[in-house]
Amino acid sequence: MGKRILIVDDAAFMRMLLKDIVSKAGFEVVGEASNGKEAVEKYRELKPDAVTMDITMPEMNGIDAVKEIKKTDPNANIIMVSAMGQQAMVIEAIQAGAKDFIVKPFQPARVIEALKKAVGEA
Amino acid sequence: MMRDEYLSVFIDETKEAIQNMNDILLKLEKDMEDMESINELFRILHTLKGMAGTMEFNIMMTLCHRMENLLDEIRNGRMKLTEDIVDKLFKGADILEQMLGSIVEGGSDELEDVDVEGLVHELEEFLEGKSIGRIPKDEVEKGEGKSEVEEGIPIEITDDLIHVVNEAKNKGYNSYYIRVTLKEDTQLKSARMYLVFHKIEELGGELLRTFPPVEDIEDEKFDLDVDMIVVAKQSAEELSSAVGNVTDVARVVVRPFEPEEELEKKREEERRREEVSEEEGKRVRKEERKRKKITQTVRVDIEKLDTLMNLMGELVIARSRIVETLKKYSIKEVDESLAQLSRITLDLQNIVMKIRMVPIAYVFNRFPRMVRDLAKQMNKEVDFIIKGEETELDRTFVEEIGDPLLHLLRNSIDHGIESKEERIAKGKPPKGTIVLSARHEGNNVVIEVVDDGKGIDRDKIIKSAVERGLIDETKAMMLPDDKVFELIFLPGFSTKEEVTEVSGRGVGMDVVKNVVESLNGSVSIESQKDKGTRVTIRLPLTLAIIQALLVKVRDFVYAIPIAAIDSTLKITKEDIQVVQDQEVVMIRQEVVPIIKLWDALGIPHDEEATSMNVVIIKVGNRKYGIVVDTLIGQDDIVIKSLGKLFSDVKEFSGGAVLGDGSIALILDVANLMV
Repeated sequence: MGKRILIVDDAAFMRMLLKDIVSKAGFEVVGEASNGKEAVEKYRELKPDAVTMDITMPEMNGIDAVKEIKKTDPNANIIMVSAMGQQAMVIEAIQAGAKDFIVKPFQPARVIEALKKAVGEA
Repeated sequence: MMRDEYLSVFIDETKEAIQNMNDILLKLEKDMEDMESINELFRILHTLKGMAGTMEFNIMMTLCHRMENLLDEIRNGRMKLTEDIVDKLFKGADILEQMLGSIVEGGSDELEDVDVEGLVHELEEFLEGKSIGRIPKDEVEKGEGKSEVEEGIPIEITDDLIHVVNEAKNKGYNSYYIRVTLKEDTQLKSARMYLVFHKIEELGGELLRTFPPVEDIEDEKFDLDVDMIVVAKQSAEELSSAVGNVTDVARVVVRPFEPEEELEKKREEERRREEVSEEEGKRVRKEERKRKKITQTVRVDIEKLDTLMNLMGELVIARSRIVETLKKYSIKEVDESLAQLSRITLDLQNIVMKIRMVPIAYVFNRFPRMVRDLAKQMNKEVDFIIKGEETELDRTFVEEIGDPLLHLLRNSIDHGIESKEERIAKGKPPKGTIVLSARHEGNNVVIEVVDDGKGIDRDKIIKSAVERGLIDETKAMMLPDDKVFELIFLPGFSTKEEVTEVSGRGVGMDVVKNVVESLNGSVSIESQKDKGTRVTIRLPLTLAIIQALLVKVRDFVYAIPIAAIDSTLKITKEDIQVVQDQEVVMIRQEVVPIIKLWDALGIPHDEEATSMNVVIIKVGNRKYGIVVDTLIGQDDIVIKSLGKLFSDVKEFSGGAVLGDGSIALILDVANLMV
């Protein structure tokens, strides 16, 4: 079985797209979350190998979610999903402990590359 | 179509690239060994080739490709740059420019009457005997990486740095020089670079220096490469693989950093290009970064900016009206919001003005090439120096001022600078010098063209003017020099007996003067025989809105531009003295001539009161005072032209609508008192 991935994004469309890309590459999408709060809960529950984390989300944003998750699991592999022009936020997320980031619109190859690196397959 | 969408960007960027090409070629002409410039030129052509290819301008692409190949041979030391090759490259740049022109006009890079094939063939001839069958692209990528890294490190090696590195060494740390290159289509580059830094720090490494500096990296002011000095316990391989594993990193070069060795290398490099001093190298780098800053822009239709400016003008008038109306009631709450409104409009106005400002480099940039060509054509040797090209001025001026300046430069080369033999005979350096400079002076932009040529021959001008019936001979002899020089500005004046291709077509200085004056500016000439000529153009910073002091004479309101005012003061009748028929006052041990505004404008006026208001005006180095009845106060006014009918009126430069709807004439302080 492939590595287990949690997808976090407030847009269902984005989650669908990511899920598609990720599962085609042989990963297993074990859960989805539509905001930061949900992401933190799901992470505790599912203990995935890696997380793709959107930055702008309602309830709790991606950066705060990274901080929360890192509190419980300092080794969490989190990849930020950013739109163009969110440079400062991405940097903040990296400071908070995110391992990598991908930029929308996605190029499937880049998404996979980042995920593989994050889980130590590349 | 995709292509259309990108066409305007392509045109702008290509234009810039060709301009850079010309600049670099000029540099190379002086120093054929300048590797940095050769590399830069190669890079430009490579980029241009790529762009042309993408846009399917295949002829352009082929031409770029050939030039690129040639430069590749040169930078790899397989060929030497010669004057011949530089000439051909200049020709190439010209053709590229023509192609671009044709693309702008009609959309194709095919030129009917230009022999592109011929040039391509000539370029190939240079390469003859060397195989050019290789796939150029691969070579480029590899080549670029290698040669650049083997050169010295772009990071300044300071004593501080050496100290830290040695300290680290004692504690068992290794020092490395690392160059990280990102993939070409990397997004959020600075975040990506941050990730690289983060990775290094995670491993326990420490970043000592980066080039470009971290602040620039944060602002994404870098291309794809970042150089850094790092101390870490890991081996070079470990670092290289860790950093290489970061997403979007295309290449990592890690090598041990030995400050002394690097210093030695740098010194050697310096020795190699003796002429290009370290200072200049730094300046070039700084300029490169500056250029990158400029490119972070949004393109806006100039018409929109004009509309914005007009609206701004209307807004200022409307505000003045409100202020004026509400003054009668003096409501405290309103006062506060009005003050805020005023502040905001002022800020807005400043920003609108700034948006319209562009560096004068846009005009100046095309001159070096032109001066070179003209000088060559006329067999004269000229050093052309540009100063203050970063000076900003209104966009409209930039467009208008190009031709007049071109004309002045032509004059300097054609009429001013003597031939080499003549100069040697006069004991001058064989090479002439022309300086084109720009600077801000108060609310003006001053542009000067100065040459060290033969100067203007007073007698020749008088003779010429008399011949053309422009002036009476006896009268002309009496004129002071500066008045004589002003004759040059009369329509139909040209002293060169033999009309050359370069200048002297009779449409000359009068056109220059007309253009400058239509922009509310002024031109003046100073000249000394055999010493040279200085032409000074003075332009206002902006055309539209100025701050002015409103003054009153009887019931008439006049506006005086604040920029021209030195001070205001009250004087009594007794303060006025008469020196050589001129009324003057003493201000801080300085004798300042004064003029009564009513006399200057011919307004009937009663015997003056004992105490009077004087506005001290400063024009250039000259000071004088204008006596008025009352000072009303300061206001922003929107300049409206008086129209053609009143173009002869020297006393006023325009009119303005005031807050109460009445009209004030704006005094032209430069002409009021001569």
